Amino acid sequence: MKPTRLALAAGMSVLALGAAACSSSSETSTGGTTGGSGDESDLTIGFLYVGPKDDYGYNQAAYEGSQAVQAAFPNAKILQAENVPETAEAETVMEDMIEQGADIIFPTSYGHLEFAQNVAKDHPDTIFVHQGGLEGEDKLDNLGTYFGTVYEPVYTAGVAAGEATESNKLGYVYAFPIPQTLANINAFALGAQSVNPDAEVIAVSTGSWCDPGLQAQAAKSLIDQGADVLTQHQDCTKTIIEAAEAAGAMSVGYHFDASDLAPNGWITGSEWNWGPLYTDIVQTVVDGKFVDSPYNGDFRVGLQTGDNPFVQSSYGSMVSAETQAKIDEIKQSFIDGGSPFAGPVLKQDGTIVWESGQQPTYEEVETMDFFVEGVTGKID
Amino acid sequence: MNPAASASASATATAAAGNASADGSVVDAPPDGAVLDTPPGAGPDADAVATPSRWRAAGMATLRWAAALAGALVIFGLFLFARGASPVDAYLAMLDSAFGDSRAIGDTLLRATPLLLAALAVAVPARAGMFNIGGEGQLVLGAVGAMAMSFALDGAIAGPPAFVLLALAGMVAGACWALIPAILKVVLRTNEAIVSLLLNYVAVIVLTWLVFEPWKDPKSTGQAYSKALPSDERLPILWANRVHVGIILAIVAAFVIWAAFRSTRWGFKLQVLGGNPEAARRAGLRVGALAVGAMAVGGALAGLGGMLEVSGVEGRLRPGIMVGFGYIGFLASWLAKHHPLKAIVSAFVLAAIAIGGNGLKIEAGVSGAAVNVLMALVLLAVLGFARPNTKATS
Repeated sequence: MKPTRLALAAGMSVLALGAAACSSSSETSTGGTTGGSGDESDLTIGFLYVGPKDDYGYNQAAYEGSQAVQAAFPNAKILQAENVPETAEAETVMEDMIEQGADIIFPTSYGHLEFAQNVAKDHPDTIFVHQGGLEGEDKLDNLGTYFGTVYEPVYTAGVAAGEATESNKLGYVYAFPIPQTLANINAFALGAQSVNPDAEVIAVSTGSWCDPGLQAQAAKSLIDQGADVLTQHQDCTKTIIEAAEAAGAMSVGYHFDASDLAPNGWITGSEWNWGPLYTDIVQTVVDGKFVDSPYNGDFRVGLQTGDNPFVQSSYGSMVSAETQAKIDEIKQSFIDGGSPFAGPVLKQDGTIVWESGQQPTYEEVETMDFFVEGVTGKID
Repeated sequence: MNPAASASASATATAAAGNASADGSVVDAPPDGAVLDTPPGAGPDADAVATPSRWRAAGMATLRWAAALAGALVIFGLFLFARGASPVDAYLAMLDSAFGDSRAIGDTLLRATPLLLAALAVAVPARAGMFNIGGEGQLVLGAVGAMAMSFALDGAIAGPPAFVLLALAGMVAGACWALIPAILKVVLRTNEAIVSLLLNYVAVIVLTWLVFEPWKDPKSTGQAYSKALPSDERLPILWANRVHVGIILAIVAAFVIWAAFRSTRWGFKLQVLGGNPEAARRAGLRVGALAVGAMAVGGALAGLGGMLEVSGVEGRLRPGIMVGFGYIGFLASWLAKHHPLKAIVSAFVLAAIAIGGNGLKIEAGVSGAAVNVLMALVLLAVLGFARPNTKATS
């Protein structure tokens, strides 16, 4: 009977589409290695990623961090779970990891925090370190958060982009106008303006951290508006970089070094180098010093305070030696206590936020809710 | 014997029993026109009395089902092997994730709850010859309705009365969502399968808008979700670490629907309508009202599933909640040939496969989404093998 088949075919194709959209090629993760010696031979560490671990972005960077942990603790067993949604499903996955003996769990997506807190309350012997969240009112002895200062290398990437652009239009694809994203867009614009006063940043929101369809549309609209450099604050970065390369535009990456996707247009980018921080966290736990360590709270680090795990990516051929030297100089100024938001900083409407000689603290930047002058786009 | 194997064994047994009863004049398979042959008065399963030839047929059907499932598992094993994972380890990891301890079994029961209600949401309209592919959207609307009721109550009522109000709101919202394709079908003769399917996307957009705009938790920094349900509107945990009353309600709902199909005038009328609408019309049945009612009941069941998920598991609305549950429920209903009691088993088996997907991710290093392939293989194998049987007997 026809409707039967139609209905079935429709249902099946939807499922198939879903499967195709969700699944991704994934290599076999290496489990525990045997042999060797060390105190950590029965150490088990779980990593959760919200997306695929080969997304040329946020998740791949975290995955590579987990590989660095494996290298530092060759006898540790690393459990990997990709495509873990930010729903109660994350609790199931973490419980499953604890079942497999996890001593430390890294829920690496912002939206995993609430579920990590729920599970942490039931499992006081497992340490949870969450990437990017803030603990809030629930202070637990077995949970902490960590993150870098993302807008520092984004500012210097903006410097490189401001030098490279010919149309003086830089396109920025972002998800949501949260403080961290606004700080990135503003830092990028200020960096570009510092070397190219005519540089304008056009900001476009997709309302999603990773929606390749919307990303492709956003990239096209920016290129149509004359942007010759595209950058982004998205979890998966591949689509926009490939779209820019295909259109002959240049790219500034985010989260991950995707220079091999854009052999012609890659300027630079900013990317996570999680390995040292992850390894230090694990070492702290192994040493039994987690409680009351900075990691058992909201640990934030930037160039002003230490080693920022968010670093500059490799440079493309269009970035001159002078520009690179200038970027090194700026980076040194941040290490010496400077800020990308050193005044004068003006909002879009021209009102002054930070006067000349003023600059915000890291905490103040985390509450940013405006675009600076020179950014085209609306926060709503 | 491991629990998964026995679960699927019982699945095959139950399903086989269904096939056996289909050997007689009763057809509870998808309406295929065969119902015309049903003598008036013969309710479903009315003559499901075992005879020696029935037992033999049941044995054959069980064998066929076992072979179908084994085939699906073997094909999926080859798929896993091609992905570089050991099929044996992968299946063991899946078993462990789905049944390894009380927590794992609890998670499987927890997942089976919305799947079973979504399956029933397909089974009721299917009896009337309609195709509700909108379980996904009706689940979402159920969650939205429950949340809306929570906002309306504003903490004024707590405990069991609040649960009842939240559930009613979810059911009404789910039913209303299902009424759209039903009424369009009756009035404009549109295809309810297509309309209900497309409304799933609309439902997700409605949910997304709500959590990004009017209902967004003001305390959230960036992450889009609604404010949490007050703790006294969260269903209490009955067993393991998260199991709530939902699974019991869902099973009771399956039995109620089964009994209604079996022994009420309504169930019989639906069956007549599903078998031959024209005959139903000539027999004086109010065809339009029956069809609309069947969809509404289905939508209400899925809506209950959405309420249970938000009040029992998630605690708040988020953009990604219940993604795919409606479609898996759809598969569960088809696996059960729209039989409410068999749907309990099929929903449980599919829930186990879904939860087993976590083990697949963590232990075997294969993307958890790969379990969708296994589900599709099970469905294809079961439907493919079952088909000659229904053809032969109808």
